Amino acid sequence: MPFTRRDFLIRSSGFVTVSAMVPRWAVKGATRFEESVAADYPNRTLVVLELMGGNDGLNTVVPFTDPLYGTLRSRIGIPTGSVLQLDSRQGMNPVMTGLKALWDAKRVAVVTNVGYPNSSLSHFQSRDIWHTADPTLAQRFGWLGRWADSVLAGSDNPLSCTAISQSLPKTLLAEHVRVPTFLSLASYQFQTDGSFPGDHTNQVNAFLAQNGAEYEIENTPSTLSGVGQDAISSSDILQTVGTGYVAMGAYPDNSLGAGLELIAQIINANLGARILYVTYGGFDNHAGEDVSHDPLLTDVSDSIKAFFDDLDGHGKSHDVLLMTWSEFGRRAQDNGSNGTDHGTSAPHFVVGDAVVSGIHGDPPDLAHLDSNGNLSIQNDFRSYYGTVLSDWLGADSSAILGPGWPNLGFLNKSYA
Amino acid sequence: MSVNWTRDAAAHLLRRAGFGGTPAEIDALFARGQEGAVSYLVDYDAIDTSSYESALAARNYNLLKTIGLQQWFMDRMAFSPRPLEEKMTYFWNLHWTSGISKVKGATLILNQNKTERTLAMGKFDDLVLAISQDPAMLVWLDNDTNKASKPNENYARELMELFTLGIGNYTQTDVTEVARALTGWTVQNYNKATNYNQATFVNNPNTHDNGSKTILGQTGNFDGTDAIGIILNHADSAGSVSGRFLGAKLWLYFAGTEAADYLVDELQGVYVSSGRMIREVVRTILLHDDFYADHTLKTWVRSPAEYAVASVRMLEADSDFSSAANSLAGMGQVLFNPSDAKGWDWGIAWMNTGALFARATLSNTLATNRGTSGTHFDTTALLAGADASTAEKVVDLLASRLNVDDVSSEVRSSWVDYMNRNDDGSLGTWTNTSANVDKKVRGLVHVMLTSPAFHLA
Repeated sequence: MPFTRRDFLIRSSGFVTVSAMVPRWAVKGATRFEESVAADYPNRTLVVLELMGGNDGLNTVVPFTDPLYGTLRSRIGIPTGSVLQLDSRQGMNPVMTGLKALWDAKRVAVVTNVGYPNSSLSHFQSRDIWHTADPTLAQRFGWLGRWADSVLAGSDNPLSCTAISQSLPKTLLAEHVRVPTFLSLASYQFQTDGSFPGDHTNQVNAFLAQNGAEYEIENTPSTLSGVGQDAISSSDILQTVGTGYVAMGAYPDNSLGAGLELIAQIINANLGARILYVTYGGFDNHAGEDVSHDPLLTDVSDSIKAFFDDLDGHGKSHDVLLMTWSEFGRRAQDNGSNGTDHGTSAPHFVVGDAVVSGIHGDPPDLAHLDSNGNLSIQNDFRSYYGTVLSDWLGADSSAILGPGWPNLGFLNKSYA
Repeated sequence: MSVNWTRDAAAHLLRRAGFGGTPAEIDALFARGQEGAVSYLVDYDAIDTSSYESALAARNYNLLKTIGLQQWFMDRMAFSPRPLEEKMTYFWNLHWTSGISKVKGATLILNQNKTERTLAMGKFDDLVLAISQDPAMLVWLDNDTNKASKPNENYARELMELFTLGIGNYTQTDVTEVARALTGWTVQNYNKATNYNQATFVNNPNTHDNGSKTILGQTGNFDGTDAIGIILNHADSAGSVSGRFLGAKLWLYFAGTEAADYLVDELQGVYVSSGRMIREVVRTILLHDDFYADHTLKTWVRSPAEYAVASVRMLEADSDFSSAANSLAGMGQVLFNPSDAKGWDWGIAWMNTGALFARATLSNTLATNRGTSGTHFDTTALLAGADASTAEKVVDLLASRLNVDDVSSEVRSSWVDYMNRNDDGSLGTWTNTSANVDKKVRGLVHVMLTSPAFHLA
C-alpha cells in the first residue's frame, strides 16, 4: 500500500501545517517503535472471534461417552448418538457441519478446558480478564493491544488492527495503536452538506484541524482527536474495499456472516491487516438454551466455513488464522429453565492451515466438579493466547503475558 | 472554599444535571444563584409539566415500537421542563435497563421507564424493590423462571453485582441463596396473544423456596423483599456497601470523573443519614465544590442519546427524533436494547471511528435539513440580535451557544478559517449574506458538533 499517514496528512492538510496535524500519540509512539522488534511474520493475519455471553462448551464439544453427561444434561443434553465425532470420546454439536468439514480437512485444533482459576463467574469481570489476559485486572490495555504497541506503534498503516464491532473490544485497546471500528462500510465516511459539494473538502479539513489541535484537558479530548484522525484516514482507504468483490463462500445471512465477509474483503485488499476482530452475541442462555443455542452454533460453524471457503477461493487462507474465545463456559448441570448458569472452562477452536489438527487437552472431567458445580481448568487461557502470540505472530509471549505459560502445541512451529 | 458561581458554572450544571441549555436557560439558571439553581433542578416536583405532557402526547409516538419508545424518551430529555428528572431516569436506564429484544413487550419496557422516572429520586429501597418486581426485568434476567425446584441465579447475581453492591462484596454462595429467596417472583399473562404487553408481576407461593437461606451472613427463611433489605443494609468497616456503590456511580455520572475515596465516603454518609434517599445524594453532588472544579469540566463523554438530544436542545431545533433513533445503532447505543445486563460502558468507550462517523452523519442531517419536518433549526434565529458581521463573530457566537468556546485558539482559528475558505480552497472573507449563512453557518454547526469539545459535556 503506497499510502501512508504522512502522505495523507500532507495531501489533505491544505491550510494547516503538517506539524500541527501530527497527533501527539504518533510522536510519543515514535521512540517506542525504534526500540521495538519487527514482527517475525508481517504477512500473517489473526482473526479473533469473540462469542459473547459465555458459550456452553459442553453442548459445543460433547463428551459423548461420559455417562455423567446425560445425567447432568438431562434437560438440554445433545443426543450422544448424533454428535459429529472428533475422536473416540468427544464430538461436535451435530449442527456444526461446516466446522466439522474444516476439521476433516485437518484445519481445526480444538483446545479443551480453557479458563482461569478462581473465577467470580461474573460476565463483566471475566470478559475484562480475557480481554487483558490479567486476572488481577491491573492491565489497562488488551493483550493484543499490548502486542500491537510492541510491534506496530509508529506504523503508518491505520488499518493494522481493525474491529468489526459496535464498540472497540478491549482486547485491542492499545496505548499507541488506534483501531478502526465499524459494523459496515456503507456509512463509514464523513458526510457533508449535499447542497454544497464544493464545500466538502473545507469541512473535512476543518474536522481534521480541530482533531489535530492540542487540547488543554489532558486525556479525553486528545483521545477523541486521535479517533477523528483515524476515522478519516481509515475511511479513505476502506472506501475501495469491497468494490467488485465476489465472495467465494456461502456466508449465512447474519451479523457474523456479514462480519467475516467484511474481514475477508479487507484481507483480500492487502491492506496490511494484522489483527481483525469480530464478535457474535447471544450465548448467555440461562433459559431456553435448548431452543437458542443450536442456531447460534450453526451460525458460528457456517460462517467460519464460508470464511475459509472464501479465503481459499481468493488464495488467501495460507496467512490467516482464526481463534475463538468466550468469557466462560457454563455450569455442568443444566438448570430448571432449560438453560445453564455461569461456568468456568470451555473448549475453543483455532482454525487455519497452520494448526496441529486434533484435540489438545482432555475431555471435560464431569466427575470432579468444583463446589459450585463447575468444570476444572486444564489449559490456562494465557497458554492459549501465548501459543498464538509466539507461534503465529512470532512474538515474545512472555513479554506480553508474563512468564510461565506453557505452549500448548496446537500450532505448527515450522509452518511457513 | 466556596464555588465561584459564574454563568459558565451554570452552563456546566445544566450540561450535567440536564442535557445542556439554551443561552436563555443558562442565563435564568445563573440568575438563581448556586443553591437556588441546584434546588430548582433537584426539587423538580415543583415544576409543572402539564403543558409539556400534552404536547408530547400530541406528537403521537408509536409506543408499541422500539423506535417510538426511543423517540418518546429523547423528546422528554430534550424538551421536558424537568431536565434532572429525565437525566435521572436516563441514569436508571443506563444502570439496569432491560432489552426489548428479549422482553418483547414494548409496553413492559415503557412501564419500566415510567417506574424509573416515578421513583428516580426517592428511597433506593423502593426503586430496587419495584425493579425486582418489574415484569420487563423479571423476563430480562430470567427470574420469571426462578423456582424452588429449579433455581435460576441470573437476576440474583446482577442484583448484587451490577445494581446494588458491586463485585467483590458478595460470594457465589450469596448468589445462589439470594436466588432461592427470589423464587416465586414471576410474571403472569406474559404471552404472545397480547404481544407480551399485558404481563404483570405475581408472587407465586407455590414456587417459592421456604427453606432457610444464609445471605451476607444472615440466616432465615427469607423472601425477595427480605433479601433486598439485607443487601441494602449490608455494611462493612467503611460503611454502607450499597451507599458507596451508588454514590460512586452517581458521582461518575454527574461529575464525569472517578470519585475520590473521600467523596465516596461522604456520599455513602449522606445515603445512610438520609434513609437512602437518592435525591439527597444527588443534591450533595451538585452542590459539591469538587463538582465545579476544573478537573471535572468537559470530562463526560456524551452518550449517543445525550449527543443527539444536546444538539437539538442547544440549537433550539425542533425534532421528532426519528433520525436520532435511526442513528442509535451506528453510534453504539440502541436505547432500550442493550446487548447485556450491564448496559453500555461509559466514557471514552462510547467513541470509536465508526461511532464517530455515525455521530457526524446524524449532525450533518441536522445541520443540512432545510425543511420543516424531522430535525431542523432556524439559522437566522441563531444569529438574530447579535453582531454576525464577520467569521470570527459567528464562530464565537455559535461556540458559546454550543458550549464549545473553551477550545484552544488553534481550534478557534480552524473554525474561522473554515468560514473564510472558498470552494476552490483559496482564502476569502465570509460576509453575512443569506446565501453565506445557509451554506457556512450550517457547515460550521456541523463541524462544531463533530469536534471533540462537543462530544464532551
